[in-house]
Amino acid sequence: MDTSAPSPFVNGEILKMFLGRRVRTVVQVQHNEGGVLLGLSTDGHQLTIRGAPGAPEPPHYIEVIGIADSSLSIRAESCTDFGENFDGVAFNGLCKLANDKYKYMFL
Amino acid sequence: MYNGGDHYDGNGGGAANANTLFSGGGFMPSQTTNTPDGSGGISKSRGAQTLLPLTVKQIMDATQTNDDKSSFAVNGTEVSTVRLVGRMMNKIERVTDVQFVLDDGTGRIEVNRWANETSDTTEMGLVKDGDYVIVNGGLKSFQGKRHIVAYSVRLVTNYNDITHHFLYCIYVHLDLAKAKKSATQTQVTASASTWNQGPPLNNQAPTLSASGNAGGNELSDMVMNVFHDPMLVNLEHGVSIQQVASRLKISDALARSTVTHLLDVGNLYPTIDDNHYKSTLNG
Repeated sequence: MDTSAPSPFVNGEILKMFLGRRVRTVVQVQHNEGGVLLGLSTDGHQLTIRGAPGAPEPPHYIEVIGIADSSLSIRAESCTDFGENFDGVAFNGLCKLANDKYKYMFL
Repeated sequence: MYNGGDHYDGNGGGAANANTLFSGGGFMPSQTTNTPDGSGGISKSRGAQTLLPLTVKQIMDATQTNDDKSSFAVNGTEVSTVRLVGRMMNKIERVTDVQFVLDDGTGRIEVNRWANETSDTTEMGLVKDGDYVIVNGGLKSFQGKRHIVAYSVRLVTNYNDITHHFLYCIYVHLDLAKAKKSATQTQVTASASTWNQGPPLNNQAPTLSASGNAGGNELSDMVMNVFHDPMLVNLEHGVSIQQVASRLKISDALARSTVTHLLDVGNLYPTIDDNHYKSTLNG
């Protein structure tokens, strides 16, 4: 049992709070070329994901777990295809709750 | 996959009623029994076996109850059966069991699945490292280390289930906090042994809003409060329409129509005649 290295849920806005740390987010794939992927976060920020080989084509959603390189980019450690029918709005709501009012349940 | 959305959301009227009938049979913790028992405010209930959706962080923060080191309390409620959703890591298959680490983003916890039946082995064969899984199991402690003994480990096929799980953790957390708070209030009200005439009525019904069928209708809420009044719940034949009317200072006709509505949605049931009713929450 270990809660020392969590990977908090983030959207584009909350990503800024975790620079240099491990995060997890879900983005909708926009463009994927040469291992660099452009994705739209659930709150409408365009994020650059590096190190995501074999990512699915648009308009799939992918979950990215990795290190927040900058306020708009993530160095991916693992990617999971969440399919086309993922509810970005609900996920965005969860990101806000998990980093604000109910943070103590997550971090 | 979560089984059946209508059961899972805890708001389906049918599911809520089923919970009342079959103690602890649903996903929502049974609240009617969450009364403080004096032992450090930990609620012991028949619902201890109730499945609680939790994050690993919540399990880490759970307190171990004093009398029995093997039981835990989250939100002051005893918990033994939990649901976690996260990624499977470090899966080790052995002859007798399968062991893995579950990472739900808030932390990591070890999970054991004993291979008692062929079905256990088959189920564990369907999931591998990196997969998102839904784990239902018992929360255990061994030499101070908390771990899960899984009853079921299922692959997540709809990824919205992950979002849903964590939102549901928050929902249940709030619901337990609310139930505990109002249970305390109810005891205060009861021990004061005064007749609570008229408003304020809103602190007398500990369980109504979470009972599933509460429609958000103010009058209905007030009527249900009368049925949950500690002074009236033990009346053998239940509460009469006239008592409701005089309590709330409303006409008999209005009381009857509201009661009829609450009867229709399953919050009340008739007792000896068409004039006496009890709340389904009070059995």
